[in-house]
Amino acid sequence: MTTQRDRFKAAIHFKKSDAMAWVEMFWDETVLRWLEDGLPAQRVTTLEWEMGRGGTALLNMPTVKGFNLNSYFGCIRFVGCLVPVDVGPMPRYKLQLLNETDRYQEFLTETGATARRSKTGEYSWYSMPMFVDFPVKDRETWYEYRKRLNPNDSRRYPKDWDAEAYARTFEMYQDGPTVVRFNGFYSFGAQLMGIPTFNLMFYKDPDLIHDMIDYWEYFTVETIRPAVEMLKDRIDLAFWWEDMADRHGPCISPKTFKEFLLPHYKRVTSFLSRHKIDRVIMDTDGNIKPMLDLLIEAGINGQWPLEVNAGMNAVELRKKYGEKLFLVGNLDKVELAKGGEAMRREVDSKVPVLKELGGYLPGADHLIPVEFTLERFKEYADYIKRYLPY
Amino acid sequence: MHILGAVCQMSDVLEDLGDAIGRLDSEEHVKTLLSAALSQGFSASEIVEKGVRKGLQTVGEKYEAGEYFLSELLYAGSLVEGLLRTLRPRMRDQELDREGVIVLGTVRGDIHDIGKNIFKMLADSSGFEVHDLGVDVDPAAFVGEAKKSNPDVLGLSALLTTTLVEMKNTVEVVRRAGVKSNLKILLGGNAVKKEFASQIGADAGALDAVEGLEICKRWMQK
Repeated sequence: MTTQRDRFKAAIHFKKSDAMAWVEMFWDETVLRWLEDGLPAQRVTTLEWEMGRGGTALLNMPTVKGFNLNSYFGCIRFVGCLVPVDVGPMPRYKLQLLNETDRYQEFLTETGATARRSKTGEYSWYSMPMFVDFPVKDRETWYEYRKRLNPNDSRRYPKDWDAEAYARTFEMYQDGPTVVRFNGFYSFGAQLMGIPTFNLMFYKDPDLIHDMIDYWEYFTVETIRPAVEMLKDRIDLAFWWEDMADRHGPCISPKTFKEFLLPHYKRVTSFLSRHKIDRVIMDTDGNIKPMLDLLIEAGINGQWPLEVNAGMNAVELRKKYGEKLFLVGNLDKVELAKGGEAMRREVDSKVPVLKELGGYLPGADHLIPVEFTLERFKEYADYIKRYLPY
Repeated sequence: MHILGAVCQMSDVLEDLGDAIGRLDSEEHVKTLLSAALSQGFSASEIVEKGVRKGLQTVGEKYEAGEYFLSELLYAGSLVEGLLRTLRPRMRDQELDREGVIVLGTVRGDIHDIGKNIFKMLADSSGFEVHDLGVDVDPAAFVGEAKKSNPDVLGLSALLTTTLVEMKNTVEVVRRAGVKSNLKILLGGNAVKKEFASQIGADAGALDAVEGLEICKRWMQK
């Protein structure tokens, strides 16, 4: 029987299966709203068995771990089965509340940033915080932070890490691809320094940026090395988070990318390729078009989410880049959420043509937002499913 | 010849300064050109109007042309801020031609300000008087500041799509308050689409800070 994983793998290798795999991911706030609106909790809540109370009680208890809407709706998420490698700072910063007023809370995050969260507004209990301070400001603070980025820290792999046992478990997971996930050179710097400071430093202290990116390449490769060397092409996809563009274009110029990032990209993708992991998708919002030639040269061969609001168009990209890029997403979530004719027009304008051209996995152009009602999503799901079979 | 005289001739030092900003030269080189301009007797306002703004104009043009990106914009802003720190104490308010007055803020419920701050930096350096109310700004606060500062433009920013409704609300409150009949309202931020501006009664939506500034300049020319 053809599985969702088979369909996904076929698409990213430009082959046709019995049907296209449809890819969606959901913000938790959307899921919670939908639960209020009638989504059956017992059908979408994920339970896992684990030792109770974080390993402090010798009880094995089913524990609520989150929500899986994908099998309920018949779509897949491409980070459903992740190789369990921890690429965060070790030790973590201790999450703690730093300040609180009647309107805001400020807390120290596990990565060492200070995040401000609004306490007012309809969705403020969940919505995206504003980061107001960052752990790396200069060379001295970078060297201090780097001590937490030891790739050989034994905590980077699970206590029960046994690559072969994990590989067997991965084979049992057929609801989507098996993925190794890590953070790219831009996103890592922007997370540690903040977007304005990191972007400025390419000009103000280029040596510091070279040093940070050099180290990040070493850290990334050495951290994932045990999993990659053991599992090889049993990993279907490398998922590379960057978020390096806004609506105008990439945050750094192609020239800067070439000088600072390109060689490091190539070494990471070569490392993956040597171990038969030849599908590497980049996750970046915004208009990444001016950078695509360089990204392809760097060894990136997939793109998600292809934000329509930023001018990304999968049909154009397919015509321009052929089989150099597999494409995921690009259905305008705003149009889809309108339902009816607007939703159908958006799906009709892209899915049939990309289905024939191949190398495409349909889905919204980012996670499903809270404004997307359950009723409209059901309508969209029913509609897009008609297109999936070949 | 004075050492700074060797760097650039009297007639072209301001042009050189503008070119250096436009090329994103080093801070050191830009400061040297500023010293040259001051030592040649140019007033602070002449340096700003004929050197700094010309440089920023070039940066904006290259950004719009896809040659420069966010990183370049931020560095240009940093260069100009450094120059203005030296020049401002030497300027009297009436010396400089003001482009116009802008009241600016991120709407209630949204606490994000990266894009707003870039716009503020560009507008301020380009000759606008900017009154920045910060983030999570109540509609009443926009009205209050608009009555006080008599702005030409009200700039509203939002990153989150969930706060678009607050943008609409703010526009309605400001229009209803009747602050100024010809007040222009400009929307910006990642959540904003151009057509959204006209849908909620604003005058324009900008895709990025540079476009927002160009819209403001066009409005001032009319």
